[in-house]
Amino acid sequence: MSEILLQQIEKLAADVKTKSTQLRKGETIVEVDQIQLKKFIKRLVTETSARHLSTITGLDLGPNVGIIYHFWHERNTIHVKTFIPKTKSTALSIVDIVPGAILYEMEIHDMFGVTFTGNPWMDRKLLLPDTWPADLPPPLLKTSKPEEIRKRLGLEVEEK
Amino acid sequence: MSAEQRKPLRREESAGLMKYSAENLVPFGPIHPALKEPEYFKLVLEGERIVEVIPRIGYVHRGLEKAAESRPWVQNMYMFERTCGICSFVHSLTYGQAVEGLTIYEVPRRAKFIRTIIAELERIHSHLLWVGLMGHWAGFETLFMWVWRDREVVLDLVEAISGNRIHKSMNTFCGVRRDMPEGMEDRIVERMKFLVDRANYYKQIVDTEETMLERTEGLGKISPETAEKLCAVGPMARYVGLRRDIRLDDPYAAYDEVPFDIVTRKEGDVHALLKLRLDELIVSANMISYAVKHLPNGQIRIKIPPVIPAGEHSSHCEAPRGEIFYYVKSSGGRTPDRVKSRQPTMANLPTALEILKGATIADVPVVLTAIDPCFGCMDRTSFLDIETNREWTWSGEQLRQYGINYYFPERAKKR
Repeated sequence: MSEILLQQIEKLAADVKTKSTQLRKGETIVEVDQIQLKKFIKRLVTETSARHLSTITGLDLGPNVGIIYHFWHERNTIHVKTFIPKTKSTALSIVDIVPGAILYEMEIHDMFGVTFTGNPWMDRKLLLPDTWPADLPPPLLKTSKPEEIRKRLGLEVEEK
Repeated sequence: MSAEQRKPLRREESAGLMKYSAENLVPFGPIHPALKEPEYFKLVLEGERIVEVIPRIGYVHRGLEKAAESRPWVQNMYMFERTCGICSFVHSLTYGQAVEGLTIYEVPRRAKFIRTIIAELERIHSHLLWVGLMGHWAGFETLFMWVWRDREVVLDLVEAISGNRIHKSMNTFCGVRRDMPEGMEDRIVERMKFLVDRANYYKQIVDTEETMLERTEGLGKISPETAEKLCAVGPMARYVGLRRDIRLDDPYAAYDEVPFDIVTRKEGDVHALLKLRLDELIVSANMISYAVKHLPNGQIRIKIPPVIPAGEHSSHCEAPRGEIFYYVKSSGGRTPDRVKSRQPTMANLPTALEILKGATIADVPVVLTAIDPCFGCMDRTSFLDIETNREWTWSGEQLRQYGINYYFPERAKKR
Protein backbone atom coordinates (compact mmCIF):
# COMPACT_ATOMS: atom_id res chain seq x y z
CA MET A 1 0.00 0.00 0.00
CA SER A 2 2.58 2.47 1.05
CA GLU A 3 4.78 1.92 -2.00
CA ILE A 4 1.88 2.39 -4.40
CA LEU A 5 1.04 5.84 -3.08
CA LEU A 6 4.65 6.98 -3.19
CA GLN A 7 4.99 5.69 -6.76
CA GLN A 8 1.85 7.57 -7.73
CA ILE A 9 3.26 10.73 -6.25
CA GLU A 10 6.60 10.23 -7.99
CA LYS A 11 4.71 9.94 -11.26
CA LEU A 12 2.64 13.05 -10.55
CA ALA A 13 5.70 14.99 -9.57
CA ALA A 14 7.76 13.88 -12.56
CA ASP A 15 6.99 16.89 -14.72
CA VAL A 16 6.62 19.58 -12.05
CA LYS A 17 9.21 18.85 -9.38
CA THR A 18 12.58 20.43 -9.13
CA LYS A 19 13.86 17.91 -6.61
CA SER A 20 12.50 15.09 -4.49
CA THR A 21 14.14 13.46 -1.49
CA GLN A 22 13.13 10.35 0.37
CA LEU A 23 13.61 11.34 4.01
CA ARG A 24 12.93 7.91 5.43
CA LYS A 25 10.54 5.05 4.79
CA GLY A 26 7.15 6.46 3.90
CA GLU A 27 8.20 10.07 4.21
CA THR A 28 9.14 12.13 1.18
CA ILE A 29 9.83 15.75 0.36
CA VAL A 30 8.82 17.02 -3.05
CA GLU A 31 10.19 20.42 -3.99
CA VAL A 32 7.97 22.20 -6.46
CA ASP A 33 8.34 25.52 -8.18
CA GLN A 34 5.87 28.14 -6.97
CA ILE A 35 4.20 28.45 -10.39
CA GLN A 36 3.57 24.70 -10.64
CA LEU A 37 2.55 24.25 -7.00
CA LYS A 38 -1.17 24.74 -7.32
CA LYS A 39 -1.39 22.36 -10.27
CA PHE A 40 0.56 19.71 -8.38
CA ILE A 41 -1.53 19.99 -5.19
CA LYS A 42 -4.72 19.81 -7.22
CA ARG A 43 -3.59 16.56 -8.83
CA LEU A 44 -2.36 15.27 -5.48
CA VAL A 45 -5.71 15.69 -3.72
CA THR A 46 -7.87 14.57 -6.63
CA GLU A 47 -5.85 11.64 -7.99
CA THR A 48 -4.28 10.12 -4.88
CA SER A 49 -5.54 9.29 -1.40
CA ALA A 50 -3.25 11.87 0.26
CA ARG A 51 -6.07 14.37 0.75
CA HIS A 52 -5.55 15.38 4.34
CA LEU A 53 -3.52 18.53 4.86
CA SER A 54 -1.98 18.51 8.33
CA THR A 55 -0.72 22.04 8.27
CA ILE A 56 1.43 24.52 6.40
CA THR A 57 4.84 25.37 7.82
CA GLY A 58 6.83 28.48 7.08
CA LEU A 59 10.63 28.56 7.19
CA ASP A 60 13.06 31.43 7.12
CA LEU A 61 15.80 30.38 4.70
CA GLY A 62 17.79 33.58 4.34
CA PRO A 63 16.83 35.21 1.04
CA ASN A 64 13.78 32.96 0.67
CA VAL A 65 10.77 31.95 2.71
CA GLY A 66 10.17 28.22 2.50
CA ILE A 67 6.60 26.97 2.65
CA ILE A 68 5.90 23.30 3.34
CA TYR A 69 2.49 21.71 2.86
CA HIS A 70 2.27 18.55 4.95
CA PHE A 71 -0.08 15.90 3.56
CA TRP A 72 -0.48 12.40 4.92
CA HIS A 73 -2.34 9.22 4.29
CA GLU A 74 -1.92 6.15 6.48
CA ARG A 75 1.82 5.56 6.84
CA ASN A 76 2.91 8.07 4.23
CA THR A 77 3.76 11.69 4.77
CA ILE A 78 4.31 13.95 1.80
CA HIS A 79 5.93 17.33 2.35
CA VAL A 80 5.41 19.63 -0.61
CA LYS A 81 8.00 22.34 -0.39
CA THR A 82 8.19 25.61 -2.27
CA PHE A 83 10.28 28.78 -2.02
CA ILE A 84 9.24 32.39 -2.23
CA PRO A 85 11.74 35.27 -2.41
CA LYS A 86 11.43 37.72 0.49
CA THR A 87 11.55 40.62 -1.92
CA LYS A 88 8.27 39.55 -3.52
CA SER A 89 6.46 37.51 -0.94
CA THR A 90 3.20 36.57 -2.60
CA ALA A 91 2.00 33.05 -3.21
CA LEU A 92 -1.09 31.47 -4.72
CA SER A 93 -3.68 30.35 -2.21
CA ILE A 94 -4.86 26.73 -2.27
CA VAL A 95 -8.09 27.46 -0.40
CA ASP A 96 -10.20 26.66 -3.48
CA ILE A 97 -8.65 23.17 -3.64
CA VAL A 98 -8.22 22.46 0.09
CA PRO A 99 -10.70 24.67 2.00
CA GLY A 100 -9.18 23.56 5.31
CA ALA A 101 -6.01 25.50 4.48
CA ILE A 102 -7.61 28.88 5.12
CA LEU A 103 -6.42 29.36 8.71
CA TYR A 104 -2.96 27.94 8.06
CA GLU A 105 -2.42 30.45 5.25
CA MET A 106 -3.55 33.25 7.54
CA GLU A 107 -1.01 32.05 10.10
CA ILE A 108 1.84 32.15 7.56
CA HIS A 109 0.63 35.59 6.49
CA ASP A 110 0.86 36.80 10.09
CA MET A 111 4.13 35.15 10.99
CA PHE A 112 6.15 35.40 7.75
CA GLY A 113 4.45 38.19 5.85
CA VAL A 114 3.60 36.05 2.83
CA THR A 115 0.41 37.18 1.07
CA PHE A 116 -1.70 34.41 -0.44
CA THR A 117 -3.66 35.68 -3.42
CA GLY A 118 -7.08 34.06 -3.52
CA ASN A 119 -7.51 33.65 0.23
CA PRO A 120 -10.67 35.61 1.17
CA TRP A 121 -9.44 36.38 4.69
CA MET A 122 -6.06 37.89 3.81
CA ASP A 123 -7.24 41.34 4.89
CA ARG A 124 -7.37 40.49 8.57
CA LYS A 125 -5.12 39.12 11.27
CA LEU A 126 -5.53 35.75 12.93
CA LEU A 127 -2.84 35.51 15.60
CA LEU A 128 -1.06 38.86 15.79
CA PRO A 129 -2.55 41.74 17.79
CA ASP A 130 -4.43 44.39 15.86
CA THR A 131 -1.94 46.94 17.14
CA TRP A 132 0.98 45.21 15.42
CA PRO A 133 3.08 48.01 13.80
CA ALA A 134 3.11 47.72 10.03
CA ASP A 135 6.81 48.49 9.73
CA LEU A 136 7.90 45.76 12.16
CA PRO A 137 9.18 42.60 10.42
CA PRO A 138 6.90 39.55 10.78
CA PRO A 139 7.77 37.85 14.09
CA LEU A 140 9.03 34.45 12.95
CA LEU A 141 11.62 35.82 10.54
CA LYS A 142 15.12 35.47 11.95
CA THR A 143 15.67 39.22 11.60
CA SER A 144 12.88 39.88 14.08
CA LYS A 145 14.16 40.09 17.65
CA PRO A 146 11.90 39.47 20.67
CA GLU A 147 13.30 42.52 22.54
CA GLU A 148 12.47 44.76 19.62
CA ILE A 149 8.91 43.41 19.47
CA ARG A 150 8.37 43.94 23.17
CA LYS A 151 9.69 47.47 22.94
CA ARG A 152 7.56 48.43 19.95
CA LEU A 153 4.40 46.89 21.39
CA GLY A 154 4.91 48.86 24.58
CA LEU A 155 5.56 45.77 26.69
CA GLU A 156 8.03 45.95 29.50
CA VAL A 157 11.57 44.98 28.54
CA GLU A 158 13.13 42.67 31.10
CA GLU A 159 16.09 44.13 32.97
CA LYS A 160 19.24 42.12 32.62
CA MET B 1 -37.64 21.98 18.13
CA SER B 2 -37.74 19.41 15.36
CA ALA B 3 -34.94 18.55 12.99
CA GLU B 4 -36.75 20.14 10.02
CA GLN B 5 -36.85 23.53 11.67
CA ARG B 6 -33.11 23.35 12.19
CA LYS B 7 -32.30 23.09 8.51
CA PRO B 8 -29.66 25.62 7.43
CA LEU B 9 -30.93 28.68 5.62
CA ARG B 10 -30.31 28.83 1.92
CA ARG B 11 -28.22 31.80 1.05
CA GLU B 12 -26.01 33.09 -1.71
CA GLU B 13 -22.60 31.60 -1.06
CA SER B 14 -19.49 33.25 0.33
CA ALA B 15 -19.86 36.52 -1.62
CA GLY B 16 -21.36 38.18 1.43
CA LEU B 17 -18.39 37.64 3.69
CA MET B 18 -16.34 40.62 2.66
CA LYS B 19 -19.36 42.86 3.00
CA TYR B 20 -19.86 42.11 6.69
CA SER B 21 -16.24 42.29 7.65
CA ALA B 22 -15.46 45.50 5.82
CA GLU B 23 -18.47 47.52 6.87
CA ASN B 24 -19.40 46.19 10.28
CA LEU B 25 -16.29 45.65 12.34
CA VAL B 26 -17.53 45.44 15.89
CA PRO B 27 -15.38 47.38 18.36
CA PHE B 28 -14.48 44.84 20.92
CA GLY B 29 -13.68 45.30 24.59
CA PRO B 30 -10.74 43.96 26.53
CA ILE B 31 -10.43 40.23 26.71
CA HIS B 32 -10.43 38.62 30.10
CA PRO B 33 -8.04 35.70 29.99
CA ALA B 34 -8.68 34.73 33.60
CA LEU B 35 -9.16 30.96 33.84
CA LYS B 36 -10.81 30.49 30.49
CA GLU B 37 -8.93 30.96 27.27
CA PRO B 38 -10.29 33.72 25.06
CA GLU B 39 -11.22 33.22 21.47
CA TYR B 40 -13.56 35.48 19.62
CA PHE B 41 -16.25 34.71 17.09
CA LYS B 42 -18.25 37.36 15.33
CA LEU B 43 -21.62 35.90 14.45
CA VAL B 44 -23.58 37.43 11.61
CA LEU B 45 -27.28 36.81 12.14
CA GLU B 46 -30.46 36.79 10.15
CA GLY B 47 -33.05 36.87 12.88
CA GLU B 48 -32.30 33.82 15.03
CA ARG B 49 -30.13 32.07 12.45
CA ILE B 50 -26.42 32.38 11.99
CA VAL B 51 -25.36 33.06 8.43
CA GLU B 52 -21.67 33.69 8.87
CA VAL B 53 -19.05 33.19 11.54
CA ILE B 54 -15.81 35.12 11.57
CA PRO B 55 -13.13 33.85 13.94
CA ARG B 56 -10.41 35.85 15.62
CA ILE B 57 -7.95 33.89 17.70
CA GLY B 58 -4.52 34.59 19.08
CA TYR B 59 -5.40 36.36 22.32
CA VAL B 60 -3.25 33.92 24.24
CA HIS B 61 -0.60 33.44 21.57
CA ARG B 62 2.59 33.20 23.56
CA GLY B 63 5.14 32.93 20.77
CA LEU B 64 6.31 29.44 21.74
CA GLU B 65 7.68 28.73 18.27
CA LYS B 66 9.89 31.80 18.43
CA ALA B 67 10.92 31.06 22.00
CA ALA B 68 11.90 27.51 21.02
CA GLU B 69 14.55 28.82 18.65
CA SER B 70 16.61 30.18 21.52
CA ARG B 71 16.25 27.31 23.99
CA PRO B 72 18.06 23.95 24.24
CA TRP B 73 16.35 20.92 22.70
CA VAL B 74 15.41 19.28 26.01
CA GLN B 75 14.13 22.45 27.59
CA ASN B 76 11.75 22.93 24.68
CA MET B 77 10.11 19.61 25.46
CA TYR B 78 8.85 20.87 28.80
CA MET B 79 7.97 24.25 27.35
CA PHE B 80 5.78 22.67 24.67
CA GLU B 81 4.18 20.50 27.33
CA ARG B 82 2.78 23.75 28.75
CA THR B 83 0.94 24.51 25.49
CA CYS B 84 -2.20 22.92 26.89
CA GLY B 85 -3.45 22.23 30.37
CA ILE B 86 -5.38 19.11 29.41
CA CYS B 87 -3.50 17.23 26.72
CA SER B 88 -0.05 18.22 27.93
CA PHE B 89 1.66 14.84 27.62
CA VAL B 90 0.90 14.34 23.94
CA HIS B 91 2.62 17.64 23.08
CA SER B 92 5.89 16.54 24.60
CA LEU B 93 5.44 13.08 23.07
CA THR B 94 5.01 14.42 19.53
CA TYR B 95 7.84 16.92 19.85
CA GLY B 96 10.00 14.19 21.34
CA GLN B 97 9.23 11.78 18.51
CA ALA B 98 10.03 14.43 15.91
CA VAL B 99 13.43 15.04 17.51
CA GLU B 100 14.11 11.33 18.09
CA GLY B 101 13.59 10.86 14.34
CA LEU B 102 16.67 12.99 13.72
CA THR B 103 18.88 10.83 15.94
CA ILE B 104 20.02 7.24 15.56
CA TYR B 105 18.70 6.10 18.94
CA GLU B 106 15.70 3.83 19.54
CA VAL B 107 13.17 4.25 22.31
CA PRO B 108 13.23 1.25 24.74
CA ARG B 109 10.16 -0.97 24.56
CA ARG B 110 9.18 -0.45 28.18
CA ALA B 111 9.25 3.32 27.70
CA LYS B 112 6.98 2.96 24.68
CA PHE B 113 4.42 1.08 26.79
CA ILE B 114 4.58 3.63 29.60
CA ARG B 115 4.07 6.41 27.03
CA THR B 116 1.02 4.59 25.69
CA ILE B 117 -0.46 4.17 29.17
CA ILE B 118 -0.04 7.84 30.05
CA ALA B 119 -1.35 9.01 26.67
CA GLU B 120 -4.48 6.88 27.09
CA LEU B 121 -5.03 8.03 30.68
CA GLU B 122 -4.85 11.55 29.31
CA ARG B 123 -7.43 10.72 26.65
CA ILE B 124 -9.83 9.40 29.31
CA HIS B 125 -9.25 12.53 31.36
CA SER B 126 -9.90 14.81 28.40
CA HIS B 127 -13.01 12.97 27.25
CA LEU B 128 -14.51 12.93 30.76
CA LEU B 129 -13.84 16.62 31.08
CA TRP B 130 -15.56 17.21 27.76
CA VAL B 131 -18.65 15.12 28.59
CA GLY B 132 -19.00 17.10 31.81
CA LEU B 133 -18.71 20.42 30.01
CA MET B 134 -21.25 19.28 27.47
CA GLY B 135 -23.66 18.64 30.33
CA HIS B 136 -22.89 22.07 31.75
CA TRP B 137 -23.50 23.97 28.50
CA ALA B 138 -26.62 21.97 27.66
CA GLY B 139 -28.11 22.69 31.08
CA PHE B 140 -27.71 19.24 32.67
CA GLU B 141 -25.65 20.15 35.70
CA THR B 142 -25.95 16.75 37.37
CA LEU B 143 -24.01 15.08 34.58
CA PHE B 144 -21.26 17.64 34.99
CA MET B 145 -20.95 16.87 38.72
CA TRP B 146 -20.91 13.10 38.22
CA VAL B 147 -18.44 13.09 35.38
CA TRP B 148 -16.01 15.45 37.03
CA ARG B 149 -16.07 13.27 40.14
CA ASP B 150 -15.05 10.28 38.02
CA ARG B 151 -12.35 12.37 36.39
CA GLU B 152 -10.61 12.43 39.77
CA VAL B 153 -10.06 8.67 39.43
CA VAL B 154 -7.87 9.26 36.39
CA LEU B 155 -6.08 12.22 37.90
CA ASP B 156 -5.24 10.16 40.99
CA LEU B 157 -3.73 7.44 38.83
CA VAL B 158 -1.72 9.96 36.82
CA GLU B 159 -0.49 11.49 40.06
CA ALA B 160 0.51 8.09 41.42
CA ILE B 161 2.54 7.33 38.27
CA SER B 162 4.08 10.69 37.44
CA GLY B 163 3.81 12.72 40.63
CA ASN B 164 1.73 15.42 38.93
CA ARG B 165 -1.91 15.74 38.02
CA ILE B 166 -1.74 17.78 34.82
CA HIS B 167 1.79 18.56 33.64
CA LYS B 168 3.25 15.11 33.92
CA SER B 169 6.75 15.91 32.62
CA MET B 170 7.17 12.18 32.03
CA ASN B 171 8.82 12.36 28.63
CA THR B 172 12.41 12.82 27.75
CA PHE B 173 14.27 12.09 24.53
CA CYS B 174 14.39 8.33 23.91
CA GLY B 175 12.48 7.32 26.99
CA VAL B 176 10.50 8.38 30.02
CA ARG B 177 11.81 9.93 33.22
CA ARG B 178 9.93 7.87 35.79
CA ASP B 179 9.29 4.16 35.90
CA MET B 180 5.92 2.65 36.67
CA PRO B 181 5.63 2.31 40.49
CA GLU B 182 5.62 -1.23 41.92
CA GLY B 183 2.25 -2.90 42.49
CA MET B 184 0.23 -0.44 40.43
CA GLU B 185 -1.09 -3.11 38.08
CA ASP B 186 -4.05 -4.33 40.13
CA ARG B 187 -5.07 -0.85 41.14
CA ILE B 188 -5.07 0.41 37.55
CA VAL B 189 -7.03 -2.59 36.24
CA GLU B 190 -9.62 -2.22 39.00
CA ARG B 191 -10.02 1.52 38.43
CA MET B 192 -10.36 0.98 34.68
CA LYS B 193 -13.18 -1.50 35.31
CA PHE B 194 -14.91 1.17 37.38
CA LEU B 195 -14.54 3.73 34.59
CA VAL B 196 -15.92 1.33 31.96
CA ASP B 197 -18.98 0.78 34.16
CA ARG B 198 -19.46 4.50 34.56
CA ALA B 199 -19.04 5.14 30.82
CA ASN B 200 -21.69 2.53 30.05
CA TYR B 201 -24.01 4.21 32.54
CA TYR B 202 -23.42 7.65 30.99
CA LYS B 203 -24.14 6.21 27.57
CA GLN B 204 -27.52 5.09 28.90
CA ILE B 205 -28.13 8.56 30.36
CA VAL B 206 -27.36 10.52 27.21
CA ASP B 207 -29.64 8.19 25.28
CA THR B 208 -32.62 8.58 27.62
CA GLU B 209 -32.28 11.92 29.39
CA GLU B 210 -34.52 14.48 27.70
CA THR B 211 -32.26 17.48 28.29
CA MET B 212 -29.38 15.91 26.41
CA LEU B 213 -31.53 14.54 23.59
CA GLU B 214 -33.28 17.86 23.06
CA ARG B 215 -30.07 19.86 22.93
CA THR B 216 -27.87 17.54 20.92
CA GLU B 217 -29.87 15.37 18.53
CA GLY B 218 -29.78 16.48 14.89
CA LEU B 219 -27.48 19.35 15.73
CA GLY B 220 -24.12 19.92 14.09
CA LYS B 221 -24.74 18.00 10.89
CA ILE B 222 -22.03 17.96 8.29
CA SER B 223 -21.35 15.64 5.37
CA PRO B 224 -18.26 13.40 5.40
CA GLU B 225 -17.06 14.98 2.16
CA THR B 226 -17.16 18.48 3.62
CA ALA B 227 -15.45 17.34 6.81
CA GLU B 228 -12.69 15.74 4.76
CA LYS B 229 -12.22 18.84 2.63
CA LEU B 230 -12.04 21.02 5.72
CA CYS B 231 -9.33 18.68 7.06
CA ALA B 232 -11.23 17.75 10.22
CA VAL B 233 -9.26 15.62 12.67
CA GLY B 234 -9.93 13.25 15.55
CA PRO B 235 -13.47 12.76 16.85
CA MET B 236 -14.71 15.49 14.51
CA ALA B 237 -13.74 13.29 11.56
CA ARG B 238 -14.87 10.02 13.11
CA TYR B 239 -18.38 11.19 14.07
CA VAL B 240 -19.32 11.54 10.40
CA GLY B 241 -17.89 8.14 9.54
CA LEU B 242 -14.37 8.99 8.33
CA ARG B 243 -12.13 6.19 9.55
CA ARG B 244 -9.16 8.28 10.50
CA ASP B 245 -7.09 7.69 13.60
CA ILE B 246 -3.32 8.04 13.70
CA ARG B 247 -3.02 5.39 16.42
CA LEU B 248 -4.20 2.87 13.83
CA ASP B 249 -3.09 4.47 10.56
CA ASP B 250 0.44 5.38 11.55
CA PRO B 251 1.18 3.69 14.89
CA TYR B 252 3.60 5.34 17.28
CA ALA B 253 4.71 4.44 20.85
CA ALA B 254 3.34 0.91 21.54
CA TYR B 255 0.07 1.22 19.61
CA ASP B 256 1.12 -1.48 17.16
CA GLU B 257 1.44 -3.95 20.05
CA VAL B 258 -1.76 -3.16 21.95
CA PRO B 259 -4.90 -4.56 20.31
CA PHE B 260 -7.72 -2.06 19.85
CA ASP B 261 -10.21 -0.84 17.32
CA ILE B 262 -11.27 2.72 16.67
CA VAL B 263 -14.85 3.92 17.01
CA THR B 264 -16.70 5.67 14.22
CA ARG B 265 -20.32 6.74 13.96
CA LYS B 266 -22.58 7.47 11.03
CA GLU B 267 -25.18 9.89 12.42
CA GLY B 268 -22.92 12.91 12.42
CA ASP B 269 -24.60 15.02 15.08
CA VAL B 270 -23.52 16.25 18.50
CA HIS B 271 -25.35 13.37 20.15
CA ALA B 272 -23.21 10.95 18.13
CA LEU B 273 -20.12 12.81 19.32
CA LEU B 274 -21.19 12.27 22.93
CA LYS B 275 -21.54 8.54 22.42
CA LEU B 276 -18.39 8.38 20.32
CA ARG B 277 -16.28 9.95 23.02
CA LEU B 278 -17.78 7.67 25.67
CA ASP B 279 -17.08 4.64 23.47
CA GLU B 280 -13.52 5.81 22.92
CA LEU B 281 -13.17 6.11 26.65
CA ILE B 282 -14.07 2.44 27.04
CA VAL B 283 -11.59 1.46 24.31
CA SER B 284 -8.86 3.47 26.05
CA ALA B 285 -9.63 1.89 29.42
CA ASN B 286 -9.30 -1.58 27.91
CA MET B 287 -6.04 -0.60 26.22
CA ILE B 288 -4.60 0.60 29.52
CA SER B 289 -5.57 -2.63 31.27
CA TYR B 290 -3.90 -4.64 28.49
CA ALA B 291 -0.76 -2.49 28.43
CA VAL B 292 -0.34 -2.67 32.20
CA LYS B 293 -0.65 -6.46 32.19
CA HIS B 294 1.83 -6.84 29.31
CA LEU B 295 4.33 -4.21 30.42
CA PRO B 296 7.76 -5.50 29.25
CA ASN B 297 10.85 -5.38 31.43
CA GLY B 298 13.95 -3.42 30.63
CA GLN B 299 15.36 0.06 30.79
CA ILE B 300 13.16 3.12 30.48
CA ARG B 301 15.50 5.57 28.77
CA ILE B 302 18.67 6.06 26.78
CA LYS B 303 20.79 9.13 27.37
CA ILE B 304 21.45 11.03 24.18
CA PRO B 305 23.89 13.90 23.54
CA PRO B 306 22.51 17.45 23.70
CA VAL B 307 23.45 18.19 20.09
CA ILE B 308 20.91 16.93 17.57
CA PRO B 309 22.18 16.12 14.03
CA ALA B 310 21.14 18.41 11.19
CA GLY B 311 18.00 17.51 9.29
CA GLU B 312 14.27 17.91 9.32
CA HIS B 313 11.57 15.65 10.63
CA SER B 314 7.89 15.72 11.40
CA SER B 315 5.74 13.69 13.72
CA HIS B 316 2.03 13.45 14.41
CA CYS B 317 0.04 11.82 17.20
CA GLU B 318 -3.60 11.28 18.00
CA ALA B 319 -4.30 13.68 20.86
CA PRO B 320 -7.68 13.40 22.62
CA ARG B 321 -8.99 16.17 20.34
CA GLY B 322 -7.42 14.93 17.13
CA GLU B 323 -4.21 15.07 15.20
CA ILE B 324 -1.37 17.01 16.74
CA PHE B 325 1.52 17.86 14.47
CA TYR B 326 5.13 18.90 15.05
CA TYR B 327 7.80 19.73 12.52
CA VAL B 328 11.41 20.30 13.61
CA LYS B 329 14.42 21.49 11.64
CA SER B 330 17.90 21.25 13.03
CA SER B 331 21.09 22.79 11.75
CA GLY B 332 23.18 20.57 14.00
CA GLY B 333 23.33 22.84 17.01
CA ARG B 334 22.18 22.87 20.60
CA THR B 335 18.99 24.76 19.74
CA PRO B 336 16.44 24.03 17.02
CA ASP B 337 16.39 26.02 13.82
CA ARG B 338 12.62 25.92 13.61
CA VAL B 339 9.82 24.15 15.46
CA LYS B 340 6.29 24.18 14.13
CA SER B 341 3.44 22.99 16.28
CA ARG B 342 -0.17 22.63 15.17
CA GLN B 343 -2.92 21.83 17.65
CA PRO B 344 -6.16 19.99 16.86
CA THR B 345 -8.45 22.91 17.72
CA MET B 346 -6.85 24.90 14.92
CA ALA B 347 -7.55 22.08 12.49
CA ASN B 348 -11.16 21.67 13.62
CA LEU B 349 -12.03 25.35 13.63
CA PRO B 350 -13.03 25.52 9.92
CA THR B 351 -15.38 22.55 10.51
CA ALA B 352 -16.95 24.25 13.53
CA LEU B 353 -17.49 27.44 11.55
CA GLU B 354 -19.22 25.43 8.83
CA ILE B 355 -21.45 23.63 11.34
CA LEU B 356 -22.45 26.90 13.01
CA LYS B 357 -23.90 28.28 9.79
CA GLY B 358 -27.64 27.69 9.95
CA ALA B 359 -27.72 26.96 13.68
CA THR B 360 -29.54 29.27 16.09
CA ILE B 361 -27.92 31.44 18.76
CA ALA B 362 -29.18 29.04 21.39
CA ASP B 363 -27.15 26.24 19.80
CA VAL B 364 -23.85 28.14 19.76
CA PRO B 365 -22.53 27.00 23.15
CA VAL B 366 -23.30 23.36 22.42
CA VAL B 367 -21.87 23.38 18.89
CA LEU B 368 -18.71 25.19 19.90
CA THR B 369 -18.19 22.87 22.84
CA ALA B 370 -18.71 19.93 20.49
CA ILE B 371 -15.33 20.40 18.81
CA ASP B 372 -13.78 20.35 22.29
CA PRO B 373 -12.01 23.65 21.96
CA CYS B 374 -10.32 25.46 24.74
CA PHE B 375 -13.73 26.22 26.10
CA GLY B 376 -13.46 29.87 26.94
CA CYS B 377 -14.26 30.57 23.32
CA MET B 378 -17.71 31.74 24.15
CA ASP B 379 -16.58 34.00 26.95
CA ARG B 380 -17.34 37.05 24.88
CA THR B 381 -19.32 36.78 21.72
CA SER B 382 -20.66 39.68 19.74
CA PHE B 383 -23.77 39.46 17.62
CA LEU B 384 -24.74 41.40 14.58
CA ASP B 385 -28.30 41.18 13.27
CA ILE B 386 -28.24 42.01 9.58
CA GLU B 387 -31.97 42.70 9.46
CA THR B 388 -32.10 45.33 12.17
CA ASN B 389 -28.39 46.14 12.18
CA ARG B 390 -28.38 45.84 15.96
CA GLU B 391 -25.13 44.81 17.65
CA TRP B 392 -24.68 43.46 21.12
CA THR B 393 -22.24 41.47 23.19
CA TRP B 394 -22.90 38.65 25.62
CA SER B 395 -20.69 36.93 28.11
CA GLY B 396 -20.39 33.14 28.04
CA GLU B 397 -22.72 32.75 31.00
CA GLN B 398 -25.43 34.93 29.43
CA LEU B 399 -25.17 32.88 26.26
CA ARG B 400 -25.50 29.64 28.23
CA GLN B 401 -28.59 30.90 30.05
CA TYR B 402 -30.12 32.04 26.76
CA GLY B 403 -29.64 28.59 25.29
CA ILE B 404 -31.20 26.85 28.28
CA ASN B 405 -34.16 29.23 28.42
CA TYR B 406 -34.70 28.87 24.68
CA TYR B 407 -35.07 25.11 24.90
CA PHE B 408 -36.64 24.80 28.34
CA PRO B 409 -38.77 27.93 28.93
CA GLU B 410 -40.57 26.26 31.84
CA ARG B 411 -37.32 26.28 33.83
CA ALA B 412 -36.86 30.00 33.29
CA LYS B 413 -40.35 30.62 34.70
CA LYS B 414 -39.55 28.66 37.85
CA ARG B 415 -36.61 30.91 38.59
